[in-house]
Amino acid sequence: MSETNIRANSNRKPKTNQVPIGIALFTAMIVFGIFLSTKSSKLSLFWILGCCFGFILQKSRFCFAASFRDPYLTGSTSVTRAVLIAFAITTISFTAIKYGASLKGLPMPGQSYIAPISLATVIGAFMFGIGMVIAGGCASGTLMRVGEGFGMQMLSLIFFIIGALLGARNFGWWDINFIQKGVTVFLPDIFGWAGALAVQLLVIAALYILADKWESRKLFED
Amino acid sequence: MSREIVLDCIGEVCPVPLIKAENALKKLTVGDILIIQIDHSCAMKNIPEWAKKAGHNVEVQEPVDGEWEVIIEKMK
Amino acid sequence: MDIKKNKYYQAWFKNAWTYVTGAILLSLLQTVTMITTNDPWGVTGAFANWGAWIYKALGGSVEKWTYFDSQGAQAALSAGFLNDPASMRNLGIIAGALFAVLMASQFKLKKIKSHKQVIAAMLGGLLMGYGATIAFGCNIGALYSGIASLSLSGWVFALFLFCGSVVGSKLLVKFFM
Repeated sequence: MSETNIRANSNRKPKTNQVPIGIALFTAMIVFGIFLSTKSSKLSLFWILGCCFGFILQKSRFCFAASFRDPYLTGSTSVTRAVLIAFAITTISFTAIKYGASLKGLPMPGQSYIAPISLATVIGAFMFGIGMVIAGGCASGTLMRVGEGFGMQMLSLIFFIIGALLGARNFGWWDINFIQKGVTVFLPDIFGWAGALAVQLLVIAALYILADKWESRKLFED
Repeated sequence: MSREIVLDCIGEVCPVPLIKAENALKKLTVGDILIIQIDHSCAMKNIPEWAKKAGHNVEVQEPVDGEWEVIIEKMK
Repeated sequence: MDIKKNKYYQAWFKNAWTYVTGAILLSLLQTVTMITTNDPWGVTGAFANWGAWIYKALGGSVEKWTYFDSQGAQAALSAGFLNDPASMRNLGIIAGALFAVLMASQFKLKKIKSHKQVIAAMLGGLLMGYGATIAFGCNIGALYSGIASLSLSGWVFALFLFCGSVVGSKLLVKFFM
């Protein structure tokens, strides 16, 4: 492919080195973290966690939108399988934390994330699925791409906020008609701790195999 | 005689560059070269990955800050 | 010494990491989040607050809305942006990603290319914002954190999210390409 190299090299513009700006930003991030810590340590903790999430999402190009979109659209499942790995590992650590708390008789952390299942979940997830594919990124992906300098995601972030406000405005209606009648299912309540963990990991493993087979099947079609 | 086709996907957002690349590559014959220009950092990962899995020769270059050229040689 | 040729610089800052590396590190960070903040990671909740602040600044009022009914929500709203931990975390995601791109010398402002992108971004943003607010979260809060918290709601969310993304893919190919 030597000719191509020459072609690409000939119109190469001089590159700028952005590392110093990166280091300046890093310093500003630390200063901002210290500023937040003067108000409360919780604020600076969330700030640091957010910065780490953003860095990891960008470096690994982790994209939850792609993990649901690509199997159908392109047949690729490498992001899907990575998301399943994340689900599996985090399931194990969250279960350990919750189980540990319940053994000590302490309230389990994060139980507010066990959301009621109702038509609002179904419609909301469906809307979210359409939105993330056409806007080119979900919530975390949109934030990450705003950081990367994408005008399109800056616009979609603004409309995400407007959409969230509209959703909050109508939330009362969804709440009375559907959410309050919804069921909340914490899997250990049904299968026990070991059972819930085993069932969930088996489901994730089955999906992993399915995703792998799906990708090879799609590639052989071409 | 092998051709060299340039596909301009600057400003396109995932998954559009990949779909365009797939469609463009279908129209080429073995030995042709497709150059996809992108500035979407996810596409510089998923296009080469897809092309490698499909059995083509791939090379990625970064001629300008935040812009890439994925060079695919159609192998089959 | 040229830092650009340093192998650690290349591995940590210049080259993209694998998806699996991302999965492992995100899991680690989810665990840290759960232990230190007593809650898993969530993103969208803060966006509703951002909307409420802007709406209030424009003269609107959200006091009577069920969504902001709870004491916690009211306290967060009156404390303001810089005192809202979840808002700081979202701001951190933007800063962290920007830092990652700058360290790789890959930052570039990407302007919107076409009218199609404008409509896609507006429509997609609205659908995501509304959907996430009524479904108790986005791909992070409702999906990732929901599933990892052993909640069936996470799996239901996943199923219909997939259906939605199939429809979204069809729309994308037909209208937005």
